[in-house]
Amino acid sequence: MAAVVSVRDLRKRYRRRDPWAVDGVTLELGAGQAFGLLGPNGAGKTSVVKMIAGLLRPDGGAITVFGSSPGDPAARAQLGFAPEDPDFPKFLRAAEVLDYFSSLLGLDDAERKRRIPETLAFAGLESERRQIRQYSKGMKQRLGIAQAILGRPKLLILDEPTADLDPLGRRDVRALIERLKQSGVAILLNSHLLSEVELVCDTVAIMAKGRVLKEGTMSEVVPEGRNLEDVFVQLVETNQMPRDHLPSFITDKDGTV
Amino acid sequence: MNGVGAVARYTMLELSRRRILLVFFLLGAVGLLIFGFGFRFLYSFASSGGLGSSSNLDPATFDRLLQLQFLSYLYGALSTFALLIGFGIGMTAIYHDLDSGAAVSLLSKPITRFAFALGKIVAAIGSLVLIVGVLALEARLVMLLFPGGLESSLTGQVIATTANTVVVMLIVLALSTWMNNIVAAIVAFVYYNVITGVITTVHMFFDSGAFHNDLVKTVFDVLYWTVPHALVSSAPGDLVRAQLQIENQSGNTTTFAFVPSASGGGDIAWWAFMVVVFSGLVYLAVRRRQV
Repeated sequence: MAAVVSVRDLRKRYRRRDPWAVDGVTLELGAGQAFGLLGPNGAGKTSVVKMIAGLLRPDGGAITVFGSSPGDPAARAQLGFAPEDPDFPKFLRAAEVLDYFSSLLGLDDAERKRRIPETLAFAGLESERRQIRQYSKGMKQRLGIAQAILGRPKLLILDEPTADLDPLGRRDVRALIERLKQSGVAILLNSHLLSEVELVCDTVAIMAKGRVLKEGTMSEVVPEGRNLEDVFVQLVETNQMPRDHLPSFITDKDGTV
Repeated sequence: MNGVGAVARYTMLELSRRRILLVFFLLGAVGLLIFGFGFRFLYSFASSGGLGSSSNLDPATFDRLLQLQFLSYLYGALSTFALLIGFGIGMTAIYHDLDSGAAVSLLSKPITRFAFALGKIVAAIGSLVLIVGVLALEARLVMLLFPGGLESSLTGQVIATTANTVVVMLIVLALSTWMNNIVAAIVAFVYYNVITGVITTVHMFFDSGAFHNDLVKTVFDVLYWTVPHALVSSAPGDLVRAQLQIENQSGNTTTFAFVPSASGGGDIAWWAFMVVVFSGLVYLAVRRRQV
């Protein structure tokens, strides 16, 4: 079976003198598979998913999405991307944003009339009449996920999808991921919430400083008797300079804390 | 092309809800009204002989001159408000999508960067034409406060003003994709109003024979064809001609030498070329932009 996403030796840096933000990442994702991309802040996870979504240009390596370049609109028609900290044209309303995106997805009137109210209801924004500029971060995040599933994608990329959601919202997103996986949608999940990744992903890659440190199925990465958080912390700490976690004014014996 | 219409439609909807454009539009609309009624008051005052003692002209001539002065200021005010609105649109139409991160969601959809840029340009030009059109309609109504005679010059003046504003707006649009929108507006202003203004003026002086230096003339001849040329309607010439007729000085060619004649086919073709060039720059800026 052909891979939905194939990434080979991917490289990216933002300025010539900067270190590589993404340094030789290789991964593959098949239909119905949920792939978790983990890593500390600045590991390069968002850069990887943005390159897969065709938003950033790689400096090296190759990416194919459904066998095409990510820049190909036909490939992006099958892709849904929920960005980290999503935002939208500030003076539009949620229904207008979804109508706008439906037009970009080429949905006809009948499909729009069916999908937009249902998607808004899924996001809990069906009765929301305010403009986006008045939304909270959580509301924008829910709209971000809503617009990502609007086109019934075969590949769904979720970049920190639950960071600003309440526990109920997180539960809904987990249920969505499970449901989509069952229907054969490939999921690429980028998250700090290791417990969440452990619940929904079949395969994980742990990244730090732009490199993949470990990759495999959940059982390959997490040995029996351990959990994902232990493995993650150990791997990341052995690959970065040791640091004193607390400032001295906190640990000082004469201090008030 | 897929997406151009949607980008244009929703960008226009967003622009229509932005306060800065609404403020510029209201300032323009109220300014034109105050302006018209202010001159009307002066006109009535002059007609009733209120200024007769301070002028050597008979009241009818004075009224006519006042009317011409009003038109001259009216056209200047229209150009100023059109430019403000052009800057307002150019600074926001693409920049805010990029700055807020909205472009991330938008450009992950199956739309090409070309279609996105084209949709934005169509929306920007459409919004400008719509707003300036409404202001022009208001200006035409304000002109009813005065005896007629030069109404036809308004149409040409509005077209020239809009065309010139389109060019500066496209420059702002392209620059704001690369840099902060306020910096973009300043750079565009300096390029269009200062650098282009100096080059055009010096070129005009060489052309009229006021300056004589073959080398410098050649340099400015070349520079002249690297910058946009502001289109000029027949209105300024019409106003001066009418003024000279009143003063029975229609043979005074010295005054006419400093009134630009209406733009010809070559200027219009150059304007169209510049619109294509700056639209191309908007596309290149959008294409290169990583979000």
